[in-house]
Amino acid sequence: MLRARGLSFGYDSASPILDEWSASFDAGEVVAITGPSGRGKSTLLYLLGLMLKPQSGDVLLDGTDAAHLSDARRAHLRAARFGFVFQDAALDATRTVLDNVTETALYRGEPLRATQARARELMSQFGVELRASAKPGQVSGGQAQRIALCRALVNDPRILLADEPTGNLDPASADIVVDAFHAQAHSGAAVIIVTHDPALVARCDRRIEL
Amino acid sequence: MNPLRRMMALVRESLATAWAQPVASVVTIVIVAGMCATVLLTTGRTVGAEQSVLGSIDSAGTRSIVIRAEADAGLDASVLDRLANLDGIEWAGAFGPATDATNAAVPDGTKVPIRLAWGTDLQQLGIPAVQPVVNRTAWASTVSLEQLGMPDSIGGVITGPGDDYAVAGSLTTPDYLRFLEPLIVVPQNVVPQDAVPQDAVPHDAAAPAPVSVLVVVASRPDLVAPVSQAVQSVLAVDDPTKVKLSTSEQLAALRALIEGQLGSFGRNLVIIVFAITALLVAAILYGLVMLRRKDFGRRRALGASQGLIIGLLLVQVAALASVGTLLGSIGATIGLTASGDPLPGIDFIVSVCILATAVSVIAAIIPALAAARRDPLTELRVP
Repeated sequence: MLRARGLSFGYDSASPILDEWSASFDAGEVVAITGPSGRGKSTLLYLLGLMLKPQSGDVLLDGTDAAHLSDARRAHLRAARFGFVFQDAALDATRTVLDNVTETALYRGEPLRATQARARELMSQFGVELRASAKPGQVSGGQAQRIALCRALVNDPRILLADEPTGNLDPASADIVVDAFHAQAHSGAAVIIVTHDPALVARCDRRIEL
Repeated sequence: MNPLRRMMALVRESLATAWAQPVASVVTIVIVAGMCATVLLTTGRTVGAEQSVLGSIDSAGTRSIVIRAEADAGLDASVLDRLANLDGIEWAGAFGPATDATNAAVPDGTKVPIRLAWGTDLQQLGIPAVQPVVNRTAWASTVSLEQLGMPDSIGGVITGPGDDYAVAGSLTTPDYLRFLEPLIVVPQNVVPQDAVPQDAVPHDAAAPAPVSVLVVVASRPDLVAPVSQAVQSVLAVDDPTKVKLSTSEQLAALRALIEGQLGSFGRNLVIIVFAITALLVAAILYGLVMLRRKDFGRRRALGASQGLIIGLLLVQVAALASVGTLLGSIGATIGLTASGDPLPGIDFIVSVCILATAVSVIAAIIPALAAARRDPLTELRVP
């Protein structure tokens, strides 16, 4: 489903963070990417998520190179086929919870009402439906991450990328998030998680050490 | 989603974003409103004064050309047919020699000059196109009616030679005919002759009637000179020395000078005000982008293209600027009205509003580009 082929990237050309890095990620698996700080785990995640262009190498999505498409094409792929979960939820503090969950509808070019219906289902599933009209500042950290999870799943992504998704969560909230990752994988998605959390790594199907 | 729905979704998101950032939105609106009000209260006042001055000059007959012909000069009403072929003429009218007339009911009353009149657009004087009695109906100005003693604007007049005419109403004397006051005219042939019973036409309409005064109004002040020359070429008089043409070229030149100088002053002021406002709008928006750079990084990560983010910000600024220009122009108009200053025309106000909105949107381009270039990795990474 998603394949990195000979990826190289570095902020300083003299010392690349990634050098000819390759890996494949299949539908239905949850993969943990681990390694010491500064080894390029997050950078790799953003490369796989088409947010960065590699200096060399390809990111193949269903066999097609997606890394070197135009900005607009890569953006549309991110909105339509990827889901992202960040370490600190990264919600828009000025908008309601429902607005946050449905944010990507505009980017995908989908009608807002259809996305809102799916968003309410997910919010009910993750127990945050009563906070739909609240602002992110009015919810707890665990709720915020569940809201971010709803946002990531609202487009039923085929590839779910998560950067330290449980880093700020209590064990119960972390379990909810990890269960959701597995559920999405079982529905046919590839889930790639950058993490330092041994408990989370232990629940993944595969581990890649950088 | 079709392009229209996509555009509507973009506008909705822009408005929702503006609504969610009340402080920044209000500051932007206030600045644009201030710009609009400043322009209208300074340049607008100047434009209003300019329009007032130019109006005064125009009322003095800036665009009129007057040809006076002696009785034996050979100028007749057929000149109007030839003038109809010329460009640059807004109005033309020919008047016969003046004959003293008095109120038929007061034979010893004040004598007022009466003239036959020809013109294709005498309705401009308030004279109806169809006359109650063709070629025998007179229309008098307010001044004439007062001198004749006809407060109801209806009556009859009789000339020294004994011709009598029915006065059917009052006419409006435009500025360019003010020199003919007190004015009574008898419209001639304002309806086709074949539409009128011949027994209703007391005079021989086929005979060329002499014209003593021909008034031509040019379309624009700068056309006075060329139109004057063209008019002279179609007069077809027997003796050109018995024709005198007078124009207001000096007034037209003065008008152009005033228009140019005040216009230049106004333009410079508008440019300065707009430039300052553009800088302020750009600075505020850039600051806002920097404050919310994490939001733009998130949007980029979640799938917003650079073009979409630029569009979001520009639509947001356009909406806020529109509100600002509306409030600024309303406030300035109220202020000018309250102070009794001349108001610029609606065209000027609308132009300022459109220009102010456009300047704001242009000023937002660089901040929008900066927002679109936020790097998700940099903005979303937690230290």
